[in-house]
Amino acid sequence: MIGASSLQNRLCPMPLTANDRIQLGHGSGGKMSAQLLRERFLPRFASAHLRSLGDGALVPVEGAEIVMSTDTFVVSPLEFPGGNIGHLAIHGTVNDLAMMGATPKYLSVGFVLEEGLELQLLERVLDSMRDAAEECRVEVVTGDTKVVERGKADGLFVNTTGVGFLHPDFRPGPARAEPGDVVLVSGPLARHGMAVMAVREGLSFDADIESDTTSLAPLVASMREAVGPAVHTLRDATRGGLASALNEIAAAADVGIVLSGPPPVPMPVQAACEMLGLDPLYVANEGVLVAFVSPDVEDEVLRALRRHPAGADAVSIGVVTDRHRGTVALRTGLGGTRVVDMLPGDQLPRIC
Amino acid sequence: MRYLSEYRDPQMARALVQRILDAATRRWTLMEVCGGQTHTIVKQGIHDVLEDAVEMIHGPGCPVCVTPLEQIDRALHLASRPDVIFTSFGDMLRVPGSECDLLQVKARGGEVRIVYSPLDAVEIARANPDREVVFFAVGFETTAPANAMAVWRARELGLRNFSVLVSHVTVPPAMVAILEDPACRVQGFLAAGHVCTVMGWEEYEPLAERYAVPIVVTGFEPLDILEGIWMVVQQLEEGRHEVANQYVRSVRREGNRRAQDLVAKVFCTVDRGWRGIGSIPGSGLGLSDAFAAFDAERKFDLESIRADEPEACRAGEVLRGQIKPFECAAFGNVCTPERPLGAPMVSAEGACAAYHNFGRLRTGTGAVS
Amino acid sequence: MCLGIPGKITRMRDDLGFAVGTVDFGGVRREVCLAYVADEVAVGDYVVVHVGFAISKVDEAEAHRTFEILREMSELDELEWLADVADAAERVP
Repeated sequence: MIGASSLQNRLCPMPLTANDRIQLGHGSGGKMSAQLLRERFLPRFASAHLRSLGDGALVPVEGAEIVMSTDTFVVSPLEFPGGNIGHLAIHGTVNDLAMMGATPKYLSVGFVLEEGLELQLLERVLDSMRDAAEECRVEVVTGDTKVVERGKADGLFVNTTGVGFLHPDFRPGPARAEPGDVVLVSGPLARHGMAVMAVREGLSFDADIESDTTSLAPLVASMREAVGPAVHTLRDATRGGLASALNEIAAAADVGIVLSGPPPVPMPVQAACEMLGLDPLYVANEGVLVAFVSPDVEDEVLRALRRHPAGADAVSIGVVTDRHRGTVALRTGLGGTRVVDMLPGDQLPRIC
Repeated sequence: MRYLSEYRDPQMARALVQRILDAATRRWTLMEVCGGQTHTIVKQGIHDVLEDAVEMIHGPGCPVCVTPLEQIDRALHLASRPDVIFTSFGDMLRVPGSECDLLQVKARGGEVRIVYSPLDAVEIARANPDREVVFFAVGFETTAPANAMAVWRARELGLRNFSVLVSHVTVPPAMVAILEDPACRVQGFLAAGHVCTVMGWEEYEPLAERYAVPIVVTGFEPLDILEGIWMVVQQLEEGRHEVANQYVRSVRREGNRRAQDLVAKVFCTVDRGWRGIGSIPGSGLGLSDAFAAFDAERKFDLESIRADEPEACRAGEVLRGQIKPFECAAFGNVCTPERPLGAPMVSAEGACAAYHNFGRLRTGTGAVS
Repeated sequence: MCLGIPGKITRMRDDLGFAVGTVDFGGVRREVCLAYVADEVAVGDYVVVHVGFAISKVDEAEAHRTFEILREMSELDELEWLADVADAAERVP
């Protein structure tokens, strides 16, 4: 066997290239994203809050505790089956606050508009944001708009930053997952990613697939009211899919996760994934949360989730273990186990 | 999904596993040719549950993995040209060339677009008459009819701005190269179900005869793979070496004649280099002279772009089935999907990526177990 | 070379001598070139599709026949297993 040291000296056909530019993979939610954060962003901002890499930041404010979260939305196309970028912008930040256990209250919105964007499209997006904010009972209290030259933005980019209030004794966090916990998912997977893919040029197909974009705050409130601190960890499974969310938690909590089988995916979504050779575990969601709860409250939490339309199909999908810490595994139908790793960048459609 | 989901039934899979374990009186060494089959095998843990009866060696059936470095470099060169819209299947985007990959070219401003079908590339050419559109025509015999039709269509439409960069390879010469290798341990093959859907299985009969190996044309779902393995094991136990068809719902002995005819019109047999293996005579397809106007290699000045396959990389041994990915010292540490040394780690169905992404727990290499 | 999935033809038409159709894959529909199977298929048939091309017609009769054999085999296994379990249970004092 060749020793590791001699590998350094070998003529390598594919030298480890120094990447001097941002690539799409940096935005995928996978390993490249994590590396970018770790190497370029975190070292520049000296904040313990930032370093814990939660969905939001729990900050003390004159004795009270509020959660702040921010998210920027760059989806293309701007409109897709089931919604538009406006829905994502409101739901996305509301959900991040909810995942920290907070009740979302206030949002700021910042727009970067591309020269040439149709005003009617902008209005549709704004209408959606108004409706979503009303439905989520959050107030947009401040905002900003900039315009850039044609070609410098994909029509429209929007950032929302939100503030929410914590409740006593409800502090779900990524590091709190522990061996024995049951892993639950609030609904079927991969709807958003495939809805967007269906209208992307070059890959377009016609399907009964709609984005699942929705507020998860009511689901969280239900769980909090039912079992409170027995909810250890909450995460919305957005870019990078369920697999990325689970890997992040396994790493943060230093635990292993075992999925009992393939998680639920609606038929047309599964079909679209088959067609393009994509794994639904890695496809983005915008209305699904994963919850790590104490095993004794599993049934109660499922009941709490199923009371809401967004949680009607909630199921248990696995357990947390103290073996293979940091790694997520899945039991196959044959009784074998496969690793569900974090992808380096975006999942690419394949032909093989 | 009909004719797909039912072939994943776990109870039926377990029954087949049991049949294989019961049938085998010793451990047999089999090779599955196709990357999609490798994907299923490793993802489902089939090689694990059958360990006592069967050793699966993973063949070079990943056209992405075997595309020569030189062709990748040529693709990168074309994609970097400002007058070119470079179109490709998704799998090719992350394959490293000598200095970078298509994704990085995209990051630097090259126009690179993923398409699902080669006909989409033709459409892009139609819609952009002032740009040159090049399609990276990679694949085995399965994809050749699609690529042939794209070129044919482009000619019918009178397009002058469409060309293909061809890197097609064919299976039988590769199997011969593997069987001729004195280090070959393969006793039976799972032939590629979709390659044979197009080509049929007639051309495998002389191979089964000459090398005395059973060859079973096999599909891609867990039940297909297990049934295919069972059929090979039964032949080996009975001392037979025939070509048989497991994938009856899609494959006929003569294959798809219409597809073969158009491929013969548009392409011709050429020698091709296989990354990690070297040149295999008559193992590739190139555009025939009648379609020279659509051949990117003849249209653009690509002659000067050359690359030498280095001796040192072990990807070749993996592709030839001589070592398993985890037997390479670089696997999981210096070589990972994010920073791949070789193509089988980059491509989603390359053997190294399959083992890294799915199989790490078992091997305990580079991961917590 | 691999990724081919089965779907059902829901529409067929001729696009200037070029046979195309709509194929439904469990709720996802896409335009597919049917040139390579045109003379053997009709609406309602299943085809295997690779990169937007139908490369074969699914032989449904053969598929059912061979699948049934596998299914019966596995059900037999289940029955035997259940019988073994019952026997073992009886032997426990």
